[in-house]
Amino acid sequence: MKKIISFILGTIVALNLSVSVANAAANEVRVAFFLEWPTPNQEDKVKKIFDKALGVPVKWTNFSNGGAMTDAMLAGDIDISYSQGLVPFINAVKSKAPLKLVDIAMEYGMGGTTCVTSNASGITKANASELEGKKVAVPLGTMAEYVFDESMKVVGADRGKMDVIQMDPEEGAAALVSGDVVMACLFGGNSIKAATAVGTRLLTVQEARDAGILGIDITSVTDKFMKENPGMLRTFIEVTHEANARYAAGKSDMNVIAKDAEMKLGDMKETIGGFKFLTPAETKKSMESGNLAGFLKGMDTPSGAVDTSFLPN
Amino acid sequence: MFTQVITFLIFFAVIGCILYGRKLIKTEKIDAVFGNPERAKGGIHWVIVGSSFLLLTWLYYSWDIAKAFYPKSANELCQVGKVNDSLLSLKYLFPIEERQFKSTFVIQSENKNIAKIALEIENTSGLRDQDKNKLLSLVAKTKNTIPLLTNEKLLENEIKVKIDELTKKITQLTIKFQKESYPEETTEDENKRKEEAVKEGEWGASGTAVEQTIEIPIIPKTRKGLKFDAVSKELKIISDEFFKLRNHNPDYKREMKEIKDEIKKYRSDLGDAQEVASTLAKDILKIARRIEYASIFPPKTLNGMNRAILEFDNVQKKEQGYLRLVDVFLFPSGTIVSSGPSCSEQGSGRWLPKPSDTLNKFILLLKPSVGFKNIPLIWYEMMDVSKIIGFILPDWIADIIPGKYPVHSEDGTVKPNFKSKILKIVTGEFKLFKIPVPMGHIWDSFLRVFLGLIFGIIIGVPLGLFMGLNRFAKGFFDPLIELYRPVPPLAWAPLVISVLGIDNIGKVFLLFMVSLSIMIISARAGASGTQLSKIHAAHSLGASRWQILRYVIFPNSLPEILTGVRVAIGMCWGTLVAAEFLAGTTGIGFVENVAKKYFQYEVIWITIFVMGMLGLLFDITLRKIIDKTIPWRGKG
Repeated sequence: MKKIISFILGTIVALNLSVSVANAAANEVRVAFFLEWPTPNQEDKVKKIFDKALGVPVKWTNFSNGGAMTDAMLAGDIDISYSQGLVPFINAVKSKAPLKLVDIAMEYGMGGTTCVTSNASGITKANASELEGKKVAVPLGTMAEYVFDESMKVVGADRGKMDVIQMDPEEGAAALVSGDVVMACLFGGNSIKAATAVGTRLLTVQEARDAGILGIDITSVTDKFMKENPGMLRTFIEVTHEANARYAAGKSDMNVIAKDAEMKLGDMKETIGGFKFLTPAETKKSMESGNLAGFLKGMDTPSGAVDTSFLPN
Repeated sequence: MFTQVITFLIFFAVIGCILYGRKLIKTEKIDAVFGNPERAKGGIHWVIVGSSFLLLTWLYYSWDIAKAFYPKSANELCQVGKVNDSLLSLKYLFPIEERQFKSTFVIQSENKNIAKIALEIENTSGLRDQDKNKLLSLVAKTKNTIPLLTNEKLLENEIKVKIDELTKKITQLTIKFQKESYPEETTEDENKRKEEAVKEGEWGASGTAVEQTIEIPIIPKTRKGLKFDAVSKELKIISDEFFKLRNHNPDYKREMKEIKDEIKKYRSDLGDAQEVASTLAKDILKIARRIEYASIFPPKTLNGMNRAILEFDNVQKKEQGYLRLVDVFLFPSGTIVSSGPSCSEQGSGRWLPKPSDTLNKFILLLKPSVGFKNIPLIWYEMMDVSKIIGFILPDWIADIIPGKYPVHSEDGTVKPNFKSKILKIVTGEFKLFKIPVPMGHIWDSFLRVFLGLIFGIIIGVPLGLFMGLNRFAKGFFDPLIELYRPVPPLAWAPLVISVLGIDNIGKVFLLFMVSLSIMIISARAGASGTQLSKIHAAHSLGASRWQILRYVIFPNSLPEILTGVRVAIGMCWGTLVAAEFLAGTTGIGFVENVAKKYFQYEVIWITIFVMGMLGLLFDITLRKIIDKTIPWRGKG
């Protein structure tokens, strides 16, 4: 009996003491990113410019959706999430996760995130209300869900009457091809390409832009990393903006980016062409009073999740 | 209140049951030696202890006990969290929770980086000698900026004064902190604060369970909380001030400017052919700027400040008083953390929702009008019996009836004929009476498991018996079964779902595959395990083949078959949830998968409980069936 009691007490004490042991001295920086989502700073990633600029090794891990990035950040496995969708970030902040938004990775139209209806179903923008009662694949809790919601408002279809199936982009594209769903909302160049092979975009890029549907990807960071390594965070953002400037000047090595994004050069150029990389000044404006601020407000985000102090001047 | 009573009840139950158990041991029969199964019989009291421990662990690690006994502690700990938050950016520069000064660490790693880049320059081929020399001199210059920062003599008086000033401020704050009267607050202010605090509410339901709630009130409610709140604000100002402070003396500034200008000029002079050199120069500049940005001071300059911060930390821990004990013992593995304008539970309290919250959320979800994603967890709907008739009768009955389907007439009406009327009947498009049928997430999951299992039994049991009794069947089906059986069912999932679709058919088929192999194996084992003497006895009494199968072999293999069903149910549940994760619009697995996307921890736990309960329900039902139908089990 005594042994049992001492075992139980010992376990309780051990559990209480197991405080999360995270990156105290920051011997490496762990960054999350997406495949099929080309960005200029991937050139720096491949050429180890980040490692040199930060002075410590940078470990990049790829994810399939922004929600998983949040999970990894909360578990203490990731310090910085680059180009996380704004929607997963907002969901995380709403559930009181200690994360901060420190930079905008890019703004994009429907080029990168879109809804595709299958040609076999014959549904287009004109008769979109026929979607009601049918199955649609949407990666819930991501930017694609936001695009889906907004698109449905534009075409005048009722989301509540559809069978919304939770599917990640790759699966959504496959389900569209096999005819399981009549529409799939997805992101990522390869997935969109697979889907548009058998379907058509519900809204063209231009139509979406006219309707004001805008995607925003951000850089988010854990509170702990931000407090303990402000210098590194600052440098990370600075290098990223330098890469963006280099891309804007047409000096980026597109082959390297395409290879790192695991895309064909042509597809990659098309995808990245739909992105708008903001300058530091534009970013600050967007975060304080522009698109991003409006987006956050529209989604009832708790205040205090945005920090502009790390942007390069 | 409720939680308090429950906690006490659990304690009494545990103590009572343990005492009862000990008493029972003393009155035990002596003849039951160790190893006798009689010794494991009974023992409801230990079941109570076991469940109580589970509940207690849940209450404890979800911090519900803290909430019940010290409802104000969250608000007070939030204020302590604010102080820690302000202290964090100061602390990490000093060897308080780290092993060394942050600046020591920076110098160490930058020296390494400088050595690395020097080596890289030496080893880069295709670099002109003049570039090499230039770059190496730049590296050396960068390296020389570090001593300029760490030299005590070069430290400007102004900076020294500033550091002393900040140190003094911290010390003063420490003294002020211990005073009873700090912070001074007019009655007017106090009333206003209390009014606002009341408006903000108590330590409430979790933010993930109920939308738009403030989980932990941040306005200090108590005098102690107010003290910490005030200190955190003052400390924040000091911390910000210190953070801006840089030891950039004129010598260093001059040197740094020189490096920057030199690199700029050097890079602009380089042609396109020397891109490598240009990049290297840029890397050197990066190191120089990193050193510039780090707060590096001479080694002994910050000792005073270090002491002041340590002392402050000790005092603030002392001032916490009983709160510290509450924090350590009632907030296991985690605590309340302040971040920006809000406080939140970080640690086990975050992902392990409180029992009361979970129960409330469960009751809310059970309401058919709420449900999850507009579909109730379990409810009923009225369905016309005609739908069932339409489902059973195949549609082609209408097609084979002679005649043609009606064509619309010139006046724009359609006249139904006999053929179209038949079509309406076989497709179920007519009205009869309505009966209630169950629906909802739980029902859908249940139905999938049930159907998969039934199909598995219907096909698997006869096939298994056949294989146990017939050489051809055994040889023919064995390779097939043995090849697909060891494959984990989930490995089939992506394939089955892409072939049979994401609807029920795919999922039921997957579960059918799971249960089929188990049923075949158990039926076969049952059949071949029949004692030969029994078969011989029946045979000599003149039983036919069918009679032997029906009255000897089948009853003999029933125990094996029913055990197989129990195993299959467990496997089916596991597979189902994963299959529903992949794709779906209903089902318990779907609920859990979507809840995860929105970080609704209560819902995740609810689905886990529901699955556990349903699995248990299946198992208990089956155990009862076994006891009722095969009393000869284990006695053959």
